[in-house]
Amino acid sequence: MRMAILALMMGATCGAAQAAERDLSVTIYNNDLALVQDKRDIDLKAGRQRVEFPDVSAQIRAETATLAAADISIVEQNFDFDLLTPAKLMEKAVGHEVTLVRINPATGAETREKAAVLATNGGVVLKIGEHIEVLRDDGLPARVIFDKVPENLRARPTLSVTLAAQHAGTERATLSYLTPGLGWKADYVALYNEADSKIDVQGWVTLTNTSGTSYDNAHTLLVAGSPGTADGNDFRRPFMPRTRATLKQAGTESGNRERLGDFYLYPLAERTTIANKQTKQVSFLDVHQVPAEHGYEFRNGWLGTVEQPQSAKTVYSFSTSARAGLGDQLPAGTLRFYMKDKRGDPQFIGESAIEHTPMGSVLSLSTGDAFDVKVKPIVDKRTRLGAFEWQSDMRYELTNALPREVTVKVLQDGLWGDTSIKQESQKSTRRSAEVAEWDVKVPANGKATLTASFESRY
Amino acid sequence: MRAKILMFASFALAGIGSAQAGDVTSLRVKDYAVTVYRAPGRSEGGFNLDDLNGFALVSEVRHVSLPAGLSRLRFEGVAGGIQPASALVTGLPEGVVEKNRDAALLSPSALIEATVGKAVILKRTNRKTGTVEDKRGTLISGADGGVVFKSDTGIEALRCSGMAETFVFEPPEGLSARPTLSVLVKTETPIEQDVTLSYLTVGFDWAATYTATLSADERNLSLGAWVTLANSNDAMFNAARTQVVAGRVNRENDSVEPIGLGESILAQCWPHGTTSDIPEERVTLQATRGFTAGIEVARMMAPAPMAADALYEVVVTSAKKVQEEQLGDLKLYRVPDRTTVASRQSKQVRLLDRERIPVRIVYGFDLRESQFDADESVPATRVLRTKNDAADHLGLPLPSGSVEVYQDHGEGALLADETELKDVAVDEDVELKLSNSDQVRVRLTAEREGIDSRHARELPLLPGVSMRSVEKTGVFRAVVSNALPHAVDFEFKLALPDGARIVRADHEVTRKDGQPLIKLAVPANGEATVLFAAAAVEDRAVPSR
Repeated sequence: MRMAILALMMGATCGAAQAAERDLSVTIYNNDLALVQDKRDIDLKAGRQRVEFPDVSAQIRAETATLAAADISIVEQNFDFDLLTPAKLMEKAVGHEVTLVRINPATGAETREKAAVLATNGGVVLKIGEHIEVLRDDGLPARVIFDKVPENLRARPTLSVTLAAQHAGTERATLSYLTPGLGWKADYVALYNEADSKIDVQGWVTLTNTSGTSYDNAHTLLVAGSPGTADGNDFRRPFMPRTRATLKQAGTESGNRERLGDFYLYPLAERTTIANKQTKQVSFLDVHQVPAEHGYEFRNGWLGTVEQPQSAKTVYSFSTSARAGLGDQLPAGTLRFYMKDKRGDPQFIGESAIEHTPMGSVLSLSTGDAFDVKVKPIVDKRTRLGAFEWQSDMRYELTNALPREVTVKVLQDGLWGDTSIKQESQKSTRRSAEVAEWDVKVPANGKATLTASFESRY
Repeated sequence: MRAKILMFASFALAGIGSAQAGDVTSLRVKDYAVTVYRAPGRSEGGFNLDDLNGFALVSEVRHVSLPAGLSRLRFEGVAGGIQPASALVTGLPEGVVEKNRDAALLSPSALIEATVGKAVILKRTNRKTGTVEDKRGTLISGADGGVVFKSDTGIEALRCSGMAETFVFEPPEGLSARPTLSVLVKTETPIEQDVTLSYLTVGFDWAATYTATLSADERNLSLGAWVTLANSNDAMFNAARTQVVAGRVNRENDSVEPIGLGESILAQCWPHGTTSDIPEERVTLQATRGFTAGIEVARMMAPAPMAADALYEVVVTSAKKVQEEQLGDLKLYRVPDRTTVASRQSKQVRLLDRERIPVRIVYGFDLRESQFDADESVPATRVLRTKNDAADHLGLPLPSGSVEVYQDHGEGALLADETELKDVAVDEDVELKLSNSDQVRVRLTAEREGIDSRHARELPLLPGVSMRSVEKTGVFRAVVSNALPHAVDFEFKLALPDGARIVRADHEVTRKDGQPLIKLAVPANGEATVLFAAAAVEDRAVPSR
């Protein structure tokens, strides 16, 4: 029934051949880009003709479309985006005849007459017989009936290909094109078990379709990567605010998933229908009892001093290695942490974005601020040692309102130039030229103080 | 029996939504749990009911019956602000093949969009005779709000003729009346059991609102607080176990694709200019009910103040208090009884009530917020201090929130101030910043400046240019005046440039938060004076001698 109507409609709009019996493949990349490969049988006449594809993505990048089939040659490709609306219909009828049906308001009787459309500028001017009239100037009902839809007016943007076929018959053709509006990312659910410091992680690929078109029964392949686009729109801007680094150590293990160059591939096991405006999720990872570490972190900017203590960040770290971790590479996405409450219901405790992560990496993800673990950094004293030499005495007051001892990683940032630590209450690690790091133990329901003197020259 | 009822339900739905082969629709929710989280970037104060930026974790227990084989289990009536990526279904033994959220809701514009290229019946009523003509045909375009119809008569446009015409649609596929999450489930044996659907949804928020009542002598405080939570979603959560979570949780910028509100169809026609100046009526097909993430609904409702569902209902529950428990590094507060979190409603539950908290009001002046030589009388700052421990009748986590400060006055208490409180852990100092005092004022004067040229040093920089370093000393006088009929405690916090030091002072100088501090007692209706001298080395490029 549906096919019949479609055929009827298409037959009426133009004498073009239509395509049927489709085999759709959709390959979706991470950067709002998809490759659609649409195989279908087309009925062709011998010689030159036009084939229409009204069901391509509404956001198709028409310049990337190619039609491939045996024994045909492409003459030209057109992408028509003039839309069929009542106003356009009337505009294109200028100079042509339409049928006017008037309804007598008293009796309801209909009278039909032919009219020629003269103009549609601000109102419709008609020529009926020898008279000129403005359409519905009297406010009375009057139907206008058109004989045909003008060419090039479409209900939706339509790709049409003019081709020359060597002989008549049904031909298997592949239409492929690129389109934005289809994208995917990964979503992870991690349930943290506080008692044994283990996490269970589920991974889902989430694909979204805002392309304006549904893809029925499509073979779907997801590519974990963003191919560089020719317009050079690299969304990594140089002056992005610095965010907390999550990938502590990049892994060196390779998984046994399919690969395309440097990209990992995630094919969906079964054909699926990606409806327009739909969000679809398919599971790809389910691992249990992965060891995870729960810690605290506080980063202080150079000469950062506050009057009110600041919460430390809650940090969970775990490995993605095959031996003691998730044992898979992780496509970029969002990892949501859950934890069971006293009643045993899982509750959300925060989320963190992750990048494409090779297998064997160590991830350190912050879920939010710790309510009970706080740090108050104080610039105690700045002493002038010489014309260009200063000593800065820092004090970090740590408090812990939890009934157990915690370890807070205190990071002092901004050790610019030739800055050295002259004195400190406990040994630091110089993580980089910029950052010094201390692991400070804070007793249960207690306090700890860390002091350090920095000497800087410039 | 259960299966039969469900079958019936899905048939009934066919009129308004879709019921594909293998569709099983779950409508009834047996149990709800709602955990509300604050908007991550919001300050300590309250929220705007028209723009709730927090979120919630919703868990729904639904009973489902699934036949063997592949079926699409449809959870109808989830919150409109659902983040589909966060949805989890537990309790299905075979697991879930895929999860879908369709953002297209049933609305006039969605109907037209779904019917383009398909059969439709144009129903035309003769206004005079009442005769109804049913014309079968095809909807060939709904582009840009204009509707074009084709039948064996020819091609016509909807609502251009001035006649009474409307369409009768075939039930469209994939449009549901309410926000729906569907999962594809493959099972070998029929399933009949409870499943739990949990998801994060936007359009919620909560805030703590404190009422602090200061005794007339300003020595004691009674502190009460409400938890106020609000839901701007169209969904209502009946008899839900309700929790709120305090503390900041990390949220990635994960905007939710809003569920499409059916846009109104302005049945656009060809130009309607006439030779008369009598305006013609325009016809608008209006979506009578639509849905999007609650935020947007509220915003769209705003221009229509009479719309009943734009009004928020405020419900205050009994004085039973929420129960606190630790959740990782956050605090979870449980509403004691099951409660209904209705659509577009704000609800208040008691958080705490504490009496006779000893407090101290301290006046002060921080040089960091002033200039050394302002030489004018400025209002003193005012803070209310206590400690969050049992000795001070507190000793419980205080989630951040707004604070209304009242003061006892005769029979009752009057509003004295409004301020905010950050998250305060147990045993932490509590400091409530009140508004500045006009009665206690400070005047700081630079009295004298001097250069100690005996200790000047010169360092050649370039040929002909040296850097001269001298020690500069300043003597300052601060006069604190008190127009109140009682003595006040005053803290004078000094801010000195890098490397500067206090040379001498006529009061004891201690340190707090890295700054020198002088404590004073200012007598009732009197003045107190502080004299101090500070010195710092200054460098300047000078011609070499």
